[in-house]
Amino acid sequence: MTGKQKKQFWNALQVILILTAAFIMLIPIIWIFLAAFKTHVDVYQLKVFFTPTIENFGTVFESPYHLGDKLYNSTVVAGVTVLFAIPIATCAAYSFSRFSLTGEMTMLVMILATQFVPAVVIILPFFVMFRDIGLLDTRLGLILINLAIVMPFAIWMIKGFIDGIPIETEEAAMVDGSTRIQVILNIVLPMAAPGLFTAGIFCFILAWNEFLFALILTNKDAVTLPIGLALFKAEEGDLWNLLSAAGIIIMAPMFVLALIIRKHFVQGMTMGAVR
Amino acid sequence: MAEIKLEKLTKRWGDFIGVDNQTIHIHDKEFFVLLGPSGCGKTTTMRMIAGLEEPTDGEIWIGDRMVNDELPKDRDVAMVFQNYGLYPHMTVYDNIAYPLKVRKTPPQEIETRVAKAAEQVELTEFLDRKPKAMSGGQRQRVALARAIVRTPLVFLMDEPLSNLDAKLRVTMRAELKHLSHELKITTVYVTHDQIEAMTLADRIAVMNHGVVQQLGTPDEIYNNPENIFVASFIGSPAMNLIQGSLLDGWFVTTGGTKLTRVGGGDKERVVLGVRAEDFIITDAGQGDIDVPVYATENTGESVLLTIQFGKQRVSAKGDRHLDKKIDDIVGLKVKPEHLYLFDPVTEKRIRPGQ
Repeated sequence: MTGKQKKQFWNALQVILILTAAFIMLIPIIWIFLAAFKTHVDVYQLKVFFTPTIENFGTVFESPYHLGDKLYNSTVVAGVTVLFAIPIATCAAYSFSRFSLTGEMTMLVMILATQFVPAVVIILPFFVMFRDIGLLDTRLGLILINLAIVMPFAIWMIKGFIDGIPIETEEAAMVDGSTRIQVILNIVLPMAAPGLFTAGIFCFILAWNEFLFALILTNKDAVTLPIGLALFKAEEGDLWNLLSAAGIIIMAPMFVLALIIRKHFVQGMTMGAVR
Repeated sequence: MAEIKLEKLTKRWGDFIGVDNQTIHIHDKEFFVLLGPSGCGKTTTMRMIAGLEEPTDGEIWIGDRMVNDELPKDRDVAMVFQNYGLYPHMTVYDNIAYPLKVRKTPPQEIETRVAKAAEQVELTEFLDRKPKAMSGGQRQRVALARAIVRTPLVFLMDEPLSNLDAKLRVTMRAELKHLSHELKITTVYVTHDQIEAMTLADRIAVMNHGVVQQLGTPDEIYNNPENIFVASFIGSPAMNLIQGSLLDGWFVTTGGTKLTRVGGGDKERVVLGVRAEDFIITDAGQGDIDVPVYATENTGESVLLTIQFGKQRVSAKGDRHLDKKIDDIVGLKVKPEHLYLFDPVTEKRIRPGQ
């Protein structure tokens, strides 16, 4: 083989290996994707060729499953969480980034440390507290929980982006005649916008996929999509075709969002993470 | 139009003293340069004038207002930063217009003023671009235009040329000089580049360790340095500082060579300062002393000889046609009117008659 052929061979081998690895990792998702379009009977056969049906996607929205309600809950909970998380996190991140606060490092570490506590440890206290103040099975309750979950990530991530803005740019704006608020609105926010956007989507994904708290703290009115999946257990066994259809509905927005942020995602993660 | 008065200005961070109790008066319409090595307090001084740094002690006056407690935006100054501090998400036009917009200038006036400022720095054709799409020199012009678009009381420039390449720096230096002549606004300019300082300044304050070492016109600073620091900081190559003693009015090197008569009296330890261009290089035997050449450097406009002078080396500037080789013996004469004597302990100048 000549050098060029050798290079081509290795390149081809690399592609094959990557595709194989990707295929193995994607098997469950491919299975779900196929199952979502199968009938209940077909599901248990590992058929790759079958007559596809989109009936499942209709059924999951009908009685008794009412997936629409769960979709609504998930959207509201994740959406409102992001709506509150990003502005609050931006304020916190700006302060951490630009002012020297007493106990700055301690605060930053403590914010992150909240993530080290396993959710199962604190879930029962939450259950009791929520029951006492009437937040059990409410979207508001879930929003508060999700805010607590996403805020540390959001603060660290956005701080990374703000740290990346040269301080001279802000100082120039101040000398040019801006107040601190004008500096933030006119200079910092537009410059950090891609970062805020990425952080927002990241938080949305976290909140959207949140399972454990939603499982314990909701039972009827505020049930979210991941919990809704448990509905598809029936006397005749697990309704895999419906479960898969619901799974696709949960995953689809995540795929779209992942595509949107993939460019900023790695940067956002590392910028926030290293500091 | 305003003068700036810094009264007993001090900046401390914990134990570290950035600026130590300095009183400086900058005249109206003056081009005033703060010169010194990095960490000498020059930038801190400027940032305190801008309001970006709070003084630990002392007063800052711009015109007839004491501005210590005023925010940067209220001080009516414009500043050019070392790395430009442009707004990357705005076009050049919006960058230049920002100081006017934020001060609620009528749109019509913004347009004419931006056009004028852009013209002054030759940016008219780039107004639609984003800073990212411009070269370093062009970005620096945008920063300049943003500063001159308003008519502030004071211009502050923090090493504005140091991020540019050498050639561009020389061009921009001339443009700056022209611009300041045109605008006639009090300017404070921070630099560590003595050539920038010499060429631009009406007056220079040479700073070190947070203290002004000498304040004067470029001419005074160059020809009449107060102490060893100023003498060695200004001039390229640096002034030769020769250790020795004073014996009956003659300067004698530590090696025992009697060099030249510098005045009267005796002193055990003195430092003689001679600039490279104040040596006269002659053939061997025709100077005050004969010395071997350690190295020669031809810079094009002149030839720089490094000379082994006892245990020290000194540099001497010669005519560009000077043809000497390493280890040649040359004669050296000094111009007696351009000699500086310093006290090695206090590092202060010893003037004749003292």
